[in-house]
Amino acid sequence: MEFGFTKEQEKLRQKIRNFFLKELPEDFGRSGDMSEEAQSFMRDFQKKTAAAGYLTSGWKKEYGGMGLGHLEQGIVDEEVGYAGIGWPSQLGLHLAAPAVFLFGTEEQKKKFIPALARGEQIWFEAFTEPEAGSDESNQQTWAVQEGDFFILNGQKTFISGGYKPDFLYTLARTEDSVPKHRGISLFLVPADLPGISYRPLPTIGGGVQNDIFFKNAKVHKEYLLGEKNRGFYHAMDTFEFERTGTANSGRARRALEEFVEFCKEEKRNGKALMADPEVRKRLAQMAIETEIWRLICWKAVWWFGNREKLGPMHYDLSGMCTKRFSTTHAERMSEILGALGQIREGSKWAKLSGAVERRWRAARSLHAGGTIEIYKYAIARRGLGLPRIPAKFNTQIGQALREPKK
Amino acid sequence: MDYLLNKKQEGLQKIARMTLEKECPESVVREAREGDEGYSPELWKKIAKLGWLGLAFPEQYGGSGRGLLDLAVLYEEMGRAVCPSPHLSTVVLSGLTILNAGSERQKKAFLPKIASGELIVSLALSEPKSAWDGNSMDPSGITIKAVPDGKTYIINGTKLLVYDAHVADFILCVARTKAGGKNGDGITLFLIDAKSPGIECTPLKTTAYDKPCEVVFKKVKVPQASIIGKVDKGWAPLAKVLQIGAVMVCAQMVGSSQKALELAVDHAKTRIQFDMPIGVHQYVQGHCVDVLWYSETSRWLTYQAAWRLSEGMPCDMEVAMAKAWTNEAHEKACWHAHQVLAGVGYTSQKGAMSLYSMKGKSLQHYLGETGYCLEKVAEEMEKWPTPEEPRGKPLGHWGTPIEDQTPAWEPWRKLREGKKTW
Repeated sequence: MEFGFTKEQEKLRQKIRNFFLKELPEDFGRSGDMSEEAQSFMRDFQKKTAAAGYLTSGWKKEYGGMGLGHLEQGIVDEEVGYAGIGWPSQLGLHLAAPAVFLFGTEEQKKKFIPALARGEQIWFEAFTEPEAGSDESNQQTWAVQEGDFFILNGQKTFISGGYKPDFLYTLARTEDSVPKHRGISLFLVPADLPGISYRPLPTIGGGVQNDIFFKNAKVHKEYLLGEKNRGFYHAMDTFEFERTGTANSGRARRALEEFVEFCKEEKRNGKALMADPEVRKRLAQMAIETEIWRLICWKAVWWFGNREKLGPMHYDLSGMCTKRFSTTHAERMSEILGALGQIREGSKWAKLSGAVERRWRAARSLHAGGTIEIYKYAIARRGLGLPRIPAKFNTQIGQALREPKK
Repeated sequence: MDYLLNKKQEGLQKIARMTLEKECPESVVREAREGDEGYSPELWKKIAKLGWLGLAFPEQYGGSGRGLLDLAVLYEEMGRAVCPSPHLSTVVLSGLTILNAGSERQKKAFLPKIASGELIVSLALSEPKSAWDGNSMDPSGITIKAVPDGKTYIINGTKLLVYDAHVADFILCVARTKAGGKNGDGITLFLIDAKSPGIECTPLKTTAYDKPCEVVFKKVKVPQASIIGKVDKGWAPLAKVLQIGAVMVCAQMVGSSQKALELAVDHAKTRIQFDMPIGVHQYVQGHCVDVLWYSETSRWLTYQAAWRLSEGMPCDMEVAMAKAWTNEAHEKACWHAHQVLAGVGYTSQKGAMSLYSMKGKSLQHYLGETGYCLEKVAEEMEKWPTPEEPRGKPLGHWGTPIEDQTPAWEPWRKLREGKKTW
């Protein structure tokens, strides 16, 4: 057992940290800025990072990566989080690209990957539907094959992304006569096809989500990823790759460091906040939780890197850390700030330029990737082997429950 | 980075689990609780034979020279079996202190005997006041005095919650020889024969029945030769050992909550109500996952601390974090397991679960209360450097009210202008 990093790994970490310190603007991350200038900066910065090699450092060299190992990739992610960066193409890089690597043909890889690796493109993950949230296999969007084309009709919802997308990584139903898991296919749809329209949904967290509508959108079959009708299973396989946990723990660590600094400087009743026993207690609890978060995320990264030797990862608590601790941290910080903690950025009365207020809202819009119950449910069944009612009874039970009582 | 045990540690874990499952079943634990001794002397002999007492001692003192991480593995297994033994008092708290601070003569005299199981030694650390205000781990908590008298010292005062003192051959007493200075200056360690006149030992009844004692020293005469280390300089070597002890207590709790998880999950799979196993219900599943959550989180904090200790790295922060979190995590893990096990878990004559949660009560208060550890963490946080700010050209948007920032993307603009976007 060992919890440290090698000298080379520490060097890599320092190199990335310096790169971000040098390249990011002084006032970066001080607001939930979504303005045109901020967005164009982030697009450029994504390209710049790609040119330095850090955007896709874990990918093979022939696809525009640096060919780094899993731990090194984890370090890069951690530093991205520590710097407070969220890539415009976050899910494209961490979820859709692995799917192309795993299930795409060689032509598809050559066609899609290079532009993404250069940081030029932004991909959305468009899985969720009004009737397919946690129950992802309940896709109602249809993709009917007509010759070389699939005609897409339906609606996606809660699709994260505030930028103009280039591709939508999406699921649609291609077969009706089989159980619902087995009739879904995976597509990488060009986002500007005729027949696709968007309606943004502002969220309380400051992030942006979208409704996406497909109305007779004609998608060529070269955009089908993997085997037809196996899309649901392909998607499940790639969820393992969404191992960006270390970015979350890095982000939390940075937020805590800044908050501690604030507590050392800021005074209340003539005494530094840091001297208040209640504040100290809360800070210590946050430090412990951040450390747990880091250790659990690193365990996921390490396990993922060794899964061929160890078997598939049965349960993964890193997502639960993010969902639980983001909220508790925001609450604790908010408690420490008291009444002034609710004042939004832009006011001279806002503490920490409203960072805690923003974080509190962001922690309440954290359900992307699954609710905490879904995580628990998955761990209980797949990790602990607890029983479930077989799916074949679901319809019967559902019907019985929907029937009015006599 | 490596989240797995090495081959040797795995071997130790396997043997320890097998042995304790066979030699230390529930019945042995219950007998020990009810007996006067509070531990099982037979089991103690077997443990000695397996070499678990000398595990962390160097070979020249009858040990096998294994690291502290190996010791943590053993402690996890002992915690898993609620193994009633004076191992922590004797081997870790006293043995390692003698190893750290004792003279060559003392080491040769005591360590091989500890390793072979001939001697039981108890550490008399906390006092009525420090046990009450939570400062037992702090030098300021040591108030009982040892006054020089010719070639001897006279010790007067009371120690409280001294584990295994009633069965000990020697008591390692932490006493003050000089008024409190900085960094624990003025504290001296005395290794006293437990049968010395003037020592009065009363076992106390506690939640876990593990019999911590009240030890009263009434004008106890102690020869100079029994001082471990230097006069007035006893705290520094002891403090290191207390950290090790704290991590071992954490490891015990980790093993214990792991067992709680297994008991809960097993019950959830096999108990049938409403014609199906109760584990099919999501509330029950949620409780099981919570037990897993608390046991896993405390496991990695604990093993990180153990790893840093065994590598000789600075670890004040890590040890304090591990103890603070594990204290609460173990309690909550047991609580959730009790929810699953219900009646089976708390009937005192049946159901092993209650053994774990009751033992947890004593472990969580031993060698570092939650509040004390949190304060230590906060002290370490004060030393954090100021985070570096980025140095690039400012964007200049900071302070713009969020309502005035229109996202660049087309649908957003349309929405702002009040147009339908689909």
